[in-house]
Amino acid sequence: MPTSRRTLAVAAVAALLLPLSACGSGDGGDGSTDASGKVEGDITFQTWNLRANFKDYFEGLIAEFEKKYPGTDVKWVDQPGEGYADKISADAAGGTLPDVVNVSPDLVAPLAEAGLALDLDKAAGQYAKEYLDGAWASHRIPGTEGTYAFPWYLNTGPLFYNKTLFEKAGLDPEQPPKTYDDLFDSALTIAEKTDGEVATLANVPTIEDFGRYGVPLMNEEGTAFTFDDAKGVELLTRYKELYDAGALDTQALTATPESSGKKFLTGAVAMNPGSALDLANFKKQAPSLYENIGITDQITSTGHVNMYVMGLMVNSQSDRKPAAVAFAHFVTDAAHQMSFAKQVAIFPSTAGSLDDPYFTEEDGTDETRVRVAAAKSLKTAVNYTPVLFSEQMKTELRNEVAKALQGKQSPKEALDNAVKSCDRLLKQQG
Amino acid sequence: MASTAVSSGARRIRRQLPTSPWLFAAPGLLIAGAFILYPFVSTLVNAFTDRRTLVPGEFVGLANFRELLHDDMFWIGLRNSSLYVLGVVPALVLLPLLLALLVHKSIPGITFFRSAFYTPVVASIVVVGLIWVWMLDERGLVNSLLETVGVGRIGFLSDQWLILLSAMAVTVWKGLGYYMIIYLAALANVPRELHEAAAVDGAGPVRRFLSVTVPAVRSTMVLVAALASVAAFKVFSEVYLMAGPSGGPAGEDTTLVMLVQRTGTGLTGRVGYASAISVVVFAVTLVLMLLVLRADRKEES
Repeated sequence: MPTSRRTLAVAAVAALLLPLSACGSGDGGDGSTDASGKVEGDITFQTWNLRANFKDYFEGLIAEFEKKYPGTDVKWVDQPGEGYADKISADAAGGTLPDVVNVSPDLVAPLAEAGLALDLDKAAGQYAKEYLDGAWASHRIPGTEGTYAFPWYLNTGPLFYNKTLFEKAGLDPEQPPKTYDDLFDSALTIAEKTDGEVATLANVPTIEDFGRYGVPLMNEEGTAFTFDDAKGVELLTRYKELYDAGALDTQALTATPESSGKKFLTGAVAMNPGSALDLANFKKQAPSLYENIGITDQITSTGHVNMYVMGLMVNSQSDRKPAAVAFAHFVTDAAHQMSFAKQVAIFPSTAGSLDDPYFTEEDGTDETRVRVAAAKSLKTAVNYTPVLFSEQMKTELRNEVAKALQGKQSPKEALDNAVKSCDRLLKQQG
Repeated sequence: MASTAVSSGARRIRRQLPTSPWLFAAPGLLIAGAFILYPFVSTLVNAFTDRRTLVPGEFVGLANFRELLHDDMFWIGLRNSSLYVLGVVPALVLLPLLLALLVHKSIPGITFFRSAFYTPVVASIVVVGLIWVWMLDERGLVNSLLETVGVGRIGFLSDQWLILLSAMAVTVWKGLGYYMIIYLAALANVPRELHEAAAVDGAGPVRRFLSVTVPAVRSTMVLVAALASVAAFKVFSEVYLMAGPSGGPAGEDTTLVMLVQRTGTGLTGRVGYASAISVVVFAVTLVLMLLVLRADRKEES
């Protein structure tokens, strides 16, 4: 027994503490913002889940860059979609962040605060006018100066719906809901007509839903959240009504994007947000659904859909800043964004690109119809996700919303609590 | 001549290198130091700082622990992890013993059953977890069976308590084979004469189990209880898979280790606070183990 006791103790200590051992220290260095100089040397370029589908495009792009700037060598690494933030944080903490990194605004905020992202207003301000104003500003952080990433591609993400289920409930499958009020009416009708068998939504409202409903999310200074106002309470109250009627799936409180996607595939849920890549998936996994799939814009009551912005950040600790800035600009310039847009349903963030006939002229196919509609809605789209809204805050909001849906607290109490927790987390971050 | 040279050479090595045992142990010690001792100490230190993923942080004394006392999620985590120990440990001490009794006799073909019971242990917890998630889904296998027999659907994956119970079931099911192997080894050491003597004295199977088998494998039961309770208190994967990353409806199924993961990872992770939770988890597991081992000593004396 003594041996096993000792072994146990060691094993317990080991297993207990290993998970945290990956967190190293961030030095928060003070790399200069000077990116002038000769474009040369080896740089590393990290993308977010793009190798599987666009290997040829990126290899061509890199070859073109290396040809234009002899003496440069770009090493391309790609990270899977899952756990991307964890990968970046491990690299950032360990000092192994690549020179050019694919980020989204909420990922860049903590990196910029830690001094790891190059301020492009200072280092590459001359390029700012090449991009849409809103896109260039999307990588700014409220309360601080500077812009911390080149805007790259934009997307709105279509909303898919199951026409068969709409028809069954006596709704016009060609007239999908547009605003939240339409959506709630349709959802309640579908639930009523199917005795609660078919839910319309599979997810609890996220911060983007609050934004699209017209709820002010944050004050202008970026110092406090405001989504607990009357409008926010109204949205959550409607969701509670849906949940009680079975119009919001019973497993919504524990849903993940994967699980709700599966529910849509099996016809248990009538609507699901997605991306252009999903269409191919439907075709393969659920052919009968594919034939009856409807594609529409995101639900919004403000007239503005949500826009997802991707960016390319330059590592402020990089030894090859001139090459890194040149490459990030090269990838995101109008010509290369346009050629990327022709590969897949994404939209360029460069000024004027969306006026290209490719995005304005329909040729009668579903594909171009969706593309033209999305490009049009993108012109007025808003990136609702507050840059400072962290993973931990998402969890707080989600949990409080869940308590309200279960009836454990009123929608007002839930949102007040969520705002309080998020404000506290915000203070700790700042 | 040659042999004296060799033996004196051997003596010389012994005389000159009194540290040689340490040299042999060095690779292991280095690995243990780098991957166990260093993270342990650094977690202890971090627990008293407000360090975040990208910000080194400062010493804040007991602030993290004071915050824990007022953090509802911490108490939910502590409750769930403790419930897990209470729910899982008795089952994992008893069921594998019964299973071991079932398969320890040498009957033709018994190896098949032994391997079959052991298979879940070898399978990846993620794969196993996903299979169970599919089976327990609202429209999964289990619910359609329940519907056919007229019971109706049960929300295994939407009710906070049922999620926790389902996760416990997976833990027990997956652990059965592992602890069965430990019991099989112990059962092999139970003298057959004792069973024979008891049988001659007229003891039935139940009586023989209680008076012969159980005392003989009692110390193994303590070992299993200790192993199982430490593992149960630190449960992560099963609950994470069944309840989702947010820890079930409103996070009510969060366990302490899930809370550590959620708080301490990502770009905005609060490493200091997560370390403080880890220290609590460590302290509780230590106490749990001491309790189990102490119960063992008491019974011995």
